[in-house]
Amino acid sequence: MTRFFNSLTPVLVAALACWPETAAAHAGDQGFVLLLPTTFYTITGTLSVVASMVLVTCLRRGVAAWMFTPRSVLRLPSAPEFRVVGLTSVFATVFLMVLIGIGLWGPNDPQNNLLPLTFWTLWWMMLYTVQGTLFDVWRWINPWTGIAKLIGVGDDPPIRVAGDPGVWPAIGLFVLFQGFLLADIAPSDPKRLAYIVLVYWGLTFIGIALFGRRFWLRHVECITVLFNLLSLLRPLEITEQVRIGLPGWRAVQDRRTGLSLSLLCLTVLAAGSFDGVNETFWWLVQIGINPLEFPGRSAVVNVTLFGLGASIALLVAVYAVAVWVGVRAARGLAKETDVSFAESFRAFAITLLPIALGYHVAHYLVSFLVQIRVTLSTAADPLARGWDLFGLSAVKVTTGFLNTPETVKVIWLSQAGVVILSHILAVLMCHQIAERTCRSAKGVILIQAGISILMIAYTVFGLWLLASPRGA
Amino acid sequence: MPKTENGKTQISRRGALLGLGASAGAMAATGVLPGSLGFAQAQSSAPIRIGFQKHATGIGAAYGRWYDATTTAAVKRINDAGGINGRPVEVITEDDGTDPSRGAEVLEKFANQHECDVAFGTLFSHVVIGSAPRAGELKLPYFVVSEGHHVASGMLNRYTLQPGITDVKSQVISMAPFVADNLGKKVTMIFPDFAFGHDHRDFFSEAIEAQGGEVVAKIAIPPTETTFTRYFPSIPRETEVIYHVMVGPAVLTFVKELGEFFGPNRPELFGFIDSLEAVDINSTGLEFLDGTYFWEGMPRYAQANQTDAEKAYRAAVGVDDNGASLDDPADVATYAHMFGCWETLNIIKRGMESADYQGPQDRTKLIEAVEAMSDMPESEDHPQGAKRFNGKTHQTFGSQYISKVTDGKLVVEHVASIEDGLYEDEVDYTTQAF
Repeated sequence: MTRFFNSLTPVLVAALACWPETAAAHAGDQGFVLLLPTTFYTITGTLSVVASMVLVTCLRRGVAAWMFTPRSVLRLPSAPEFRVVGLTSVFATVFLMVLIGIGLWGPNDPQNNLLPLTFWTLWWMMLYTVQGTLFDVWRWINPWTGIAKLIGVGDDPPIRVAGDPGVWPAIGLFVLFQGFLLADIAPSDPKRLAYIVLVYWGLTFIGIALFGRRFWLRHVECITVLFNLLSLLRPLEITEQVRIGLPGWRAVQDRRTGLSLSLLCLTVLAAGSFDGVNETFWWLVQIGINPLEFPGRSAVVNVTLFGLGASIALLVAVYAVAVWVGVRAARGLAKETDVSFAESFRAFAITLLPIALGYHVAHYLVSFLVQIRVTLSTAADPLARGWDLFGLSAVKVTTGFLNTPETVKVIWLSQAGVVILSHILAVLMCHQIAERTCRSAKGVILIQAGISILMIAYTVFGLWLLASPRGA
Repeated sequence: MPKTENGKTQISRRGALLGLGASAGAMAATGVLPGSLGFAQAQSSAPIRIGFQKHATGIGAAYGRWYDATTTAAVKRINDAGGINGRPVEVITEDDGTDPSRGAEVLEKFANQHECDVAFGTLFSHVVIGSAPRAGELKLPYFVVSEGHHVASGMLNRYTLQPGITDVKSQVISMAPFVADNLGKKVTMIFPDFAFGHDHRDFFSEAIEAQGGEVVAKIAIPPTETTFTRYFPSIPRETEVIYHVMVGPAVLTFVKELGEFFGPNRPELFGFIDSLEAVDINSTGLEFLDGTYFWEGMPRYAQANQTDAEKAYRAAVGVDDNGASLDDPADVATYAHMFGCWETLNIIKRGMESADYQGPQDRTKLIEAVEAMSDMPESEDHPQGAKRFNGKTHQTFGSQYISKVTDGKLVVEHVASIEDGLYEDEVDYTTQAF
């Protein structure tokens, strides 16, 4: 029986293809990537990370701490109160409701509807990155805080939870969100997405009303929890002082990291990694699918959910072993008797967060470059009435840059560069936490033994992901 | 009509928005739309609703984008000329995610939610095969643009038709006379080792033997391969022509390695443009293809003897003389396939006019009207060339183009006739009850 096009995975399937999952299709540049000397780049990139490890071990004790000490660049008369934050948050709520309305009653094509475009391209791809690198954008546009404050909900909740539940509920919700992103058969369908966003917004609002704003947003609402975690990587902090430092300086400050927060770091990295793996020829072969004949998302829902869960479990296990190896070495060979596995497990997990952010940027870069144009051109006419708001109809959606070897090379090297830099930052953060944990120079080196191997392996893995042919 | 972003027209944007169809229809009926002839003569000004099953996401998205642009352009032309039976045409677009299960859901939405008159536009075979049974259950005419052989093979149903694009079996067998007469009779086939490649192997082997040629080697490449050099020593020395149909991200690597293997002393090469659809033929690594031959569904490059119809079509869909977007010369269109949307929509129009289609109650009359069609001359409705529709098999037949890569362009060397691609009927859908 002839089955023609089901087998036809075009070489240059445009990057707009599979957002948000950005699957094979977003690997539009794959044909040219396969012609690049990616093995050479991978070796060079990995050696850079190894070199950074060697270099950092040669540093005098305290240099890492000095590097992570922020510099005050401006002293303000008082901490900015950001009263406008409440207002912008209310505006964000209104904007969200308008988007939900567009999702429900607007164009059916997700490439013509502002809800999925804003949700996946502007929010998930872009603001995630902004939150981890530039400024606390989520605080300004959190769609619950302003409205809750405005109508007096969540300040004096009827239910008070005793004790600290950590971020366990948020981890659960984040895994559900990732499951939706990776495995749902139509995560971009405007109506489907509108219902999901509306229900989540409503449940969160009820949670805030019942349990309090502070409790719900710090422990349960996974996006606020995740974005607050990402905030720890930003170089800039604005309080009474404007302080700037090496990215991650806030993350390596001496703070007690709870077990659940550590596991959230691991979950974010594992989910982001699987988001790349599940598109590769390698993964498709493992699950018995011809990579040139991807049958569609509906055929892989369960196996994708399994893969997501297995990736999280695997990373937690591998990380635990890596920490255990380091702790054993430090205790046995450097007499660091105060070092404990449990404490180290919690403390070092944050060092994987920059890698997760780096993966996010690298993974979505190509999709973003295409989808941002689609988003802008759709913003010109959000209700499909033939408008041309802000002259945005001048934005043309074309993907020629994925059809040009030179630009494909620049994009690939940028992705690889981000992955490598994120690993080098992770190495520095790891060293600083090791210095905080161990007294002796030998202990500082030994306790990182396992995690260093993990980071080197992750560099190879990350660059392999970028270079791998994709079929889903 | 003024164009908006991405080559879309305003009516498409409006048409895509639920609930606005009536206002679009009203505007069109009063002739407000620029360039419109108006629809005042219609018994009803309510638009004809065509559900466009679009690969907006998933592995088909690159095709989906161009199918969308072509559909928009074709509907604009139809509306500018007065619509169908005096009524404007409205396209309701739904994303099928290039997924068969989602595709079936989308058809249900078209029938029950959007009250579409027909469904249209599906490309990928697995989506067609997954959706067609639902079209039959819903009794919704389903016009696919997939070029799969599944329609003519008899595996689908009376509600599924493919009148605007030829199928792969016809394409492959129509290549054999030219290959045997001009390139050589001893052929080595290199194909990916799964159903798609097997179809090419089986259809072409039989066809070349009928021309007095023979396939001297069949080299099946596992779909997971990304490097190919180790397979090339299996190409027999006596090979006069290599027939290749590799697909997937490693195609550029395949061509590059083939070039490195043979150097200047190569046999003739014949391939299907599907391997390089939407890829610039002048891309790095493809230099080796100079002087080789490709099947094209429709010539990507404007030819010296370009017809007025082809010229008008090319301009309408926003493609330049090199087959790329007018907005971006590096953005190559899926030109070998997307004409199918244009021609299918014109056939739906003619079918509805011939059946005096008034609404969903006339769906079976529409199918019978299309089944009654046969020869369609080359025209602005059929810019790819003349067609001959087989009402029994629900499959159209048409000209096929063989182009040679010459100075970085695909230049048509031969046009295979409709007769070259005919084969015996494998089904008679007209015997099936509605």
